[in-house]
Amino acid sequence: MAVIEEPLALPSGTTKARRPLGAFSRPRNATGLVDWLTTVDHKKIGIMYGMAAMFFFIIGGVAALLIRLQLAAPNSTILSADTYNRVFTMHGTIMVFLVVMPIGAAFANYLLPLQIGARDVAFPRINAFSFWVFLAGGLMLNSSWFLGGGANGGWFNYAPNNGAAFSPSTGIDFWNLGLFIAGIGSLSGAVNLITTVLNMRAPGMTLMRMPVFVWMTLVTQFLLLFAIPVLTAAQLLLLLDRQFGANFFNVTQGADPLLWQHLFWIFGHPEVYLMILPAFGIVSEVIPTFSRKPIFGYPFMVFSGIAIGFMGWGVWAHHMFVSGIGPLSVTAFSVATMFIAVPTGVKILNWLATMWGGKLILNTAMLFSIGLVTQFTIGGLSGVTHAVAPSDTQQTDTYYIVAHFHYVLFGGALFGFFAGLYFWWPKIFGYKLNEKIGKWNFWGMVLGFNLTFGPMHILGLQGMARRMQTYDVSMGFNLWNLVSTIGSFILGVTTLLLFVNAWKSYSEWKAAGRPNVGADPWDARTIEWSIQSPAPEHNFDVTPTVSDLDDFWHQKYAEDDEGKLRQVATGDELAQPGNGEGVHLPAPSYWPIVLAFSLPIVGYGLIYSLWFCIPGTLLTIISIYGWALEPADDLDIDDHGHGPDQEMEPAV
Amino acid sequence: MTDSITLDSTDTHGHSDHDDHAHPTEKQYWIVFVILAVITAVEIAWSYMGLEGPALVVPLIIMMVVKFLMIAGVFMHLSFDSKMPNGRTFYLCFGAAMVLAILVFLVVLAAFEFQI
Amino acid sequence: MTAIPVEDAVEVADDHGSDHHDDGHHTSLGLSNMKLAMWLFLGSECLLFGALISTYLLSKARFLTEVLAGNPEVLGTLPANLIEEFQAEGSVEPLFDIPFTSASSFILLMSSVTMVFAHQAISKNDQRNTRLWLATTAALGSVFIAGQVYEFTTFYNEGLRFDGNLLGSALYTLTGFHGVHVTVGIIMLLSLLVLAFRGKLNQDRAETLELVGLYWHFVDVVWVLIFTIVYLIP
Repeated sequence: MAVIEEPLALPSGTTKARRPLGAFSRPRNATGLVDWLTTVDHKKIGIMYGMAAMFFFIIGGVAALLIRLQLAAPNSTILSADTYNRVFTMHGTIMVFLVVMPIGAAFANYLLPLQIGARDVAFPRINAFSFWVFLAGGLMLNSSWFLGGGANGGWFNYAPNNGAAFSPSTGIDFWNLGLFIAGIGSLSGAVNLITTVLNMRAPGMTLMRMPVFVWMTLVTQFLLLFAIPVLTAAQLLLLLDRQFGANFFNVTQGADPLLWQHLFWIFGHPEVYLMILPAFGIVSEVIPTFSRKPIFGYPFMVFSGIAIGFMGWGVWAHHMFVSGIGPLSVTAFSVATMFIAVPTGVKILNWLATMWGGKLILNTAMLFSIGLVTQFTIGGLSGVTHAVAPSDTQQTDTYYIVAHFHYVLFGGALFGFFAGLYFWWPKIFGYKLNEKIGKWNFWGMVLGFNLTFGPMHILGLQGMARRMQTYDVSMGFNLWNLVSTIGSFILGVTTLLLFVNAWKSYSEWKAAGRPNVGADPWDARTIEWSIQSPAPEHNFDVTPTVSDLDDFWHQKYAEDDEGKLRQVATGDELAQPGNGEGVHLPAPSYWPIVLAFSLPIVGYGLIYSLWFCIPGTLLTIISIYGWALEPADDLDIDDHGHGPDQEMEPAV
Repeated sequence: MTDSITLDSTDTHGHSDHDDHAHPTEKQYWIVFVILAVITAVEIAWSYMGLEGPALVVPLIIMMVVKFLMIAGVFMHLSFDSKMPNGRTFYLCFGAAMVLAILVFLVVLAAFEFQI
Repeated sequence: MTAIPVEDAVEVADDHGSDHHDDGHHTSLGLSNMKLAMWLFLGSECLLFGALISTYLLSKARFLTEVLAGNPEVLGTLPANLIEEFQAEGSVEPLFDIPFTSASSFILLMSSVTMVFAHQAISKNDQRNTRLWLATTAALGSVFIAGQVYEFTTFYNEGLRFDGNLLGSALYTLTGFHGVHVTVGIIMLLSLLVLAFRGKLNQDRAETLELVGLYWHFVDVVWVLIFTIVYLIP
């Protein structure tokens, strides 16, 4: 997997004559498209993660609307049963792997180095690779739309239905290999970001002074690091079964298809936490800023996040209560699942306590954060009902489950991400988003969201099974399905208001002559607001020295003699001017994108003809060596004694 | 701990994790290797003793774990690196993974036993 | 998850505006980024091999159950003599050639020692011995792989097919996946060897070699587990 960059442990000042190892040149002074394709800047990579996720969000959203359109009325025939299977499978897969996860990665990439006071991540080229390989996997998965139809086995693709005997079309192969490839990106990203957080903090930025978002991202990346390989193993087994005739899930040979369920959910349950934790981190930054109070119970916030990370590994079988795992397992996992509600409850309580008595500023970012707290709580409560195994037996595979996980993932994760977008938009792009459209955006989404998913609780308890292509009039599902469909279109349209807002705010800003939004437009708390907006390419002119939690806020406010809190400086007064002179940034590189896109060639080869694998593998090997032998950043200004500084790692 | 590594950027390279004097000598590596070889020999002999059940399996597992720890501790320098400041991070990261893997997969295998 | 010592970050005067952040001594923990990343990667590999080892154990158990129950679908995938031996022993042990595999395990174990010596040599900037030990390690690894190829051929000739039954799928997958890891390790060792012969592998790159070493020892350690769990415990 990882392609690791090896810097030479030479102190600056030492000069050492050294010839470059390779003949490959690094792109320098690239502009326009080439700049974006070869960049190793964590901020640009973060933006690209976000844009790619939004692109996939639209595909997944269209799939969702197609599902709702089909279910709007009984006995509908807009989608055939087969198409319907593919559409809901791809909807789930895209939303989980290509939307929620990468938006989390987008925020992590952009904010992590800024919040810990670093110039970039630990391994900038691996960072670029992580993004491109995610994109390559995502595009490969989506290419199945045009190559015989998407996967049709549900997003968790249970065995033995996912075998070649029951699913002969190539959709599941694309699902398998696309996610396999995207998983490589998650894994290398996890290694990179964990190293960054542990090792690249500014002086004084101790672990217990890190912003909550950094903490939640750290936990998220550990979850990825340990969960992705389990999915990879399961996918390897499936690959061998489908492409090479192995028997791992072949029931006639005595195989136990529950193995797939176990492996998938050992990955899958940490997965749901790693989708929600970045959003928890985001609102933990937004709520204190707009309550004008420090976060309540910071250590509890941190340790409950860690506890969620830990306990997330001990509850996977609650997805399998009706699969016949036996009463002992059901009991054990049921109890464990009830316990995991505790740290989540701690978080909800802390957010409420942060807002309690605060001077609330109810702008769009804050509204979305409050939206997360409320909507996620509803989803969390319905989640606890699943922990009760007898009740879960009734709810399994009904719309009640669909309602539950949309409340936690849309009402939780996506609302959190929207809060983050509105909050950090000025830092990223240099202008604020329009508040008026923002409020429409928020209230429209809340309305549409609850209209869409609220009725699903009722439908589920009435017995409407999930993944049903249609239903009969006599079943009594008509009304709530219609409401849900109307809601989904409200939700779809109001979600698009984000894009309208971005476009409109940008044109207004441009028309006004691009006024400077200031380093600290929200009077915020963490150190990413102490640099100019948009963040300069080199991040910090001078590496900050941190002496407090919410360090930037403590620089702005101090107690006077009477113990009253007074502002001693404004953010703009304290902000670094953004002078990058003398700062030395890692040079861009072609190899991350080349290496990333060599992998789908191997993937297509595995599906269509093994001969294709040969050029794919060759390109992979060439890229790895090209990467490893790439000359140092800047041979002409080799004042740091940087020699050829790379060594490669196995490409798993 | 902060004081124990006063980092001086003009210092020569590699002083934090290339502390080779902290690493074992060639002779010690050979000793470890001989011990590993002996354990392997005992393992093989044990498997030919015709024992069954726990009498066979438990000693084999114990010997396996000992070998594992020796390789990770000595050859991979974990027991030496962990003595340097913050060096515990290495084995905590790796150890967490190892413990997690063992626990999770033992539960999986147990779950298959209790399946209906 | 909490596997992180909650300690003060090292106060480093690092404001000379370079991208030197990746040097060991400029990092918050005072540890090398590369080495930390390598350990994290190896941590994730634990989960990968954990999944494959449990898959093997489960598949073997299911396979044996079917063989002992006389499931014709399963028996049809094996030659009669193997079936008889499996049924007589109640295990799949008759398939294995323990003395042979012990020898190849010993060779892989040996290669860990030579790898350590390569690291020691480069720490002393002893180019000759660095090359010698790197070459020896790669050679021992190759012997191990050759042994695995031989072993696979033997299994195949005895009638165990990858696509035949659960045992074949699981056994070839687990040991083969480990073999792929060894092969990747050999490629890395050979790349280092080429660097060494071109005079580019000096003391400053001791850490690169150490990282390859970490990977190599990890692969060795995984074999220690596989050898006991797959070959010795019936």
